[in-house]
Amino acid sequence: MNESWHTAGPAVAARAVTKTYGNGVRAVRGVDLEVPPGEIRAVVGENGAGKSTLMKLFYGLEQPSSGEILIGGRPRVLRGPSSAIALGVGMVHQNLMLVPSFTVAQNVVLGVEPGRRGLVDPRAAVETTARLAEESGLAVDPRARVDEVSVGMRQRTEILKALHRQAKVLILDEPTAVLTPQETEDLFAAVRRLRDGGMTVLFISHKLREVREISDTVSVMRAGALVGTVATADATEHSLAAMMVGRDLILDVDRTPAQTSEVTLSVRDLAYTAPVGQSLHGLDFDVAAGEIVGVAGIEGNGQSELAEILAGLRRPTAGTIRVGGTDTAGLDVAGHRRAGIGYVPEDRLHNGAALDESIADNLVVDRHDRPPLARRGILHPKAVRAHAERLISDYAIRTPDPSVPVRALSGGNLQKVVVARELSAGPRLLIASQITRGVDIGAMRFMYERLVAARDAGAAVLLISADLTELLALSDRLLVLRDGRLVARFDDTTGLTEKRVGLYMLGVEQHDREHLTTGLGEIS
Amino acid sequence: MTATLIESEDRREYRTTRRRDLAVDLSMTLATILAALAIGFLVMLATGKDPIAAYEALLTGPMERSFRVGRWLEDATTLTLLGLSVAIPFRARQISLGAESQVYAGALAAAVVAILLPLPPVVAVIVPLVAAAAAGAGMGFVPGAMKARLGANEIVATLMLNAIVVRVYDYLVNGPLRQTGSSAVHSERIHPDSALTPLTDWFGIPLGRSNIGLGLMLLTAVALWLLITRTPLGYRIRMTGSNPDFAEYGGIRVPRAIEWSFVIGGAVAGLAGAHLVLGVYGRLEPGMAGSLAFEGIVVALLARNNPLVVVVAGLFYSYLRAGGDIMEQQTDVGTEIVVVIQAVIVLLVTAQALPDLLKRRLARKQVGAR
Repeated sequence: MNESWHTAGPAVAARAVTKTYGNGVRAVRGVDLEVPPGEIRAVVGENGAGKSTLMKLFYGLEQPSSGEILIGGRPRVLRGPSSAIALGVGMVHQNLMLVPSFTVAQNVVLGVEPGRRGLVDPRAAVETTARLAEESGLAVDPRARVDEVSVGMRQRTEILKALHRQAKVLILDEPTAVLTPQETEDLFAAVRRLRDGGMTVLFISHKLREVREISDTVSVMRAGALVGTVATADATEHSLAAMMVGRDLILDVDRTPAQTSEVTLSVRDLAYTAPVGQSLHGLDFDVAAGEIVGVAGIEGNGQSELAEILAGLRRPTAGTIRVGGTDTAGLDVAGHRRAGIGYVPEDRLHNGAALDESIADNLVVDRHDRPPLARRGILHPKAVRAHAERLISDYAIRTPDPSVPVRALSGGNLQKVVVARELSAGPRLLIASQITRGVDIGAMRFMYERLVAARDAGAAVLLISADLTELLALSDRLLVLRDGRLVARFDDTTGLTEKRVGLYMLGVEQHDREHLTTGLGEIS
Repeated sequence: MTATLIESEDRREYRTTRRRDLAVDLSMTLATILAALAIGFLVMLATGKDPIAAYEALLTGPMERSFRVGRWLEDATTLTLLGLSVAIPFRARQISLGAESQVYAGALAAAVVAILLPLPPVVAVIVPLVAAAAAGAGMGFVPGAMKARLGANEIVATLMLNAIVVRVYDYLVNGPLRQTGSSAVHSERIHPDSALTPLTDWFGIPLGRSNIGLGLMLLTAVALWLLITRTPLGYRIRMTGSNPDFAEYGGIRVPRAIEWSFVIGGAVAGLAGAHLVLGVYGRLEPGMAGSLAFEGIVVALLARNNPLVVVVAGLFYSYLRAGGDIMEQQTDVGTEIVVVIQAVIVLLVTAQALPDLLKRRLARKQVGAR
């Protein structure tokens, strides 16, 4: 393992690398990149800028169409991840890849198990894992089953797995997207420690603040090409953002005070008993037309369940839900959509899209059976295509053609497809769940503008997010969920700080019942 | 943004890649068939037979006499209909193996109507066809509803239903429906008015038992292609097959789409049964569908569940079957070699990685040349 590394040259490098996918989408164009050993290098860029593809090239998941990949100072042909791993490259993916029913230790040693004569030595596996965890400062419980531990620990397990395989280069693809602030800090401390031990780290992120905090140098990609590499100390968030989008960009949202009219969504005494996951207890709240109501909370406190109940994907156990005068509690999903509910799901890969189908087909799932797309039982492909062309230009979806399968799109671009579909339906109530998760600054700003525009056009917006900055920037009012209960309600978000909301999220403070329910009208 | 320039460039590029991919797919299929024939050639050489004479019989035999063409078309009609019948549930990602029960249910329904019910001409053809489609659809609905509403495994459900229906069919043909006074086991003949007109009558040359069921099959294939690509129901079936969670999220009633895919497939298999009764045999015979129900699955897989391609695959597959019979009659090579050739083709075509590998290599070369 790790044979023939040149100590002098760069740890990893790309020379004039271009990658064209089989469907003609060119993701990386002529990139020259050199990362010296023992450096934390951040790679930033908009969606579809080619960051993930470049990393897949380094990890052997994709092969370059032209140009060469260098690892350990020498040009290499990576036929797959196994050859990259043999050369000392480890990668932690955005969607973690572990065996859920195995323990942490079993996952760490998977493929390189200690033991003899084909038998795995479980004790040695646990000891190895504990030792690696100790050395690197990545705390894990080696005996816990992966499906029972937190996302943060799963991620640490992935990193330990790479360390166990003696990685000299570690690629982290948006590692902080799934982490709490505390976990992020711990991760950064561990990454620095690894760097000081000689590890080369490639860090992909959208969050410029984190990039500034953790990296030594930053490489910026735009539209598949490398725009430039700067020392982190010389960069500001502003200058990096400008490099990424090719223009100056400010993330502050221009937002006039909400002009609310009648109540669109009223939820009374909503309860839900979850077979798995978080149950909900006695929720009461309103969302009026023309306002954005944010829902804050540590992930897993009932936000997903609430969103899916409101969208009709789950049935509440008790309580009433009214959307613009329609009682939606007994309706199916199509009934919810007819009542004017749009939903941007938190996991677009799971149910936000059919990945192997075209962009055009993905844009019509809620309207494929009515004019102008279908008339008298006939679906008109030309109309579907024209519909797609219109939304592609309205929502700046980057694609060569509407017939491209959405699998070929990058994360933010795919999210644009989902948002385009949900907003173009002209919803009365929009439920937006983690709308900017895994999305770059350019697309983020775009989503924010669209949400505010939808609000100003009279939609009621329920914004569920794990990103407090986002919630505070966008919400006219803010609710906080903890353990499936509403624990706070802020009717005015001006001057509200992340710290203050955090106290409610963590359970240090709580609003009383009277405050939570004042002004909620009776519903007939 | 700077994207417009890139986009126009990429669109052109995207279109050329698409065209090239299609060419790769087609030439790969041809190469696959040639490779399979070459392997068959080697096998025959190794067993000391005369491969040239055998291949002459296999490849040109079905075309040599008009009644052989008829034999091929008659077989292809049934096989293609059965291929179409499973392609539709496959599109909803439902592994339906129920073509066998559906084809026999369709044959029974068509025969009962065409034997017992005196009807005026034309109507006498249409009513048994409709009855067969309805019986097949009903036989599709049972496992479809079991899967969609009760969560039964569709593979088990369809296989068990096959076992039951085939036994019932055998019982009826050997018992209540058996022609009295006949030494062979079969039913009474259908009314002459109910028969599907033989192609011989149309073209004036002997074309065996092939009949206008061929045209019916072609119409069905086009209708199913339109259903899949041009109707809301087809869209729902496609989305359900592609990602059921997405379909549900979008407001599609996934269980309904699954049921419909089974019902439509069943109706088409029922038509195949009617074709056997009204067009080929003119009565019920034991085991009249042979192994066609399962070969229909192979045809659907070869065609990647595209109804129009199923027609091509069905005609091709039947051609090999017909040629194999002639080869066996005329030379000392048995039909086993045809099975070998068919199996090699199926293996190579279902190994989707091969054309993808070639496409990737081409893409690399193209970029390198620039």
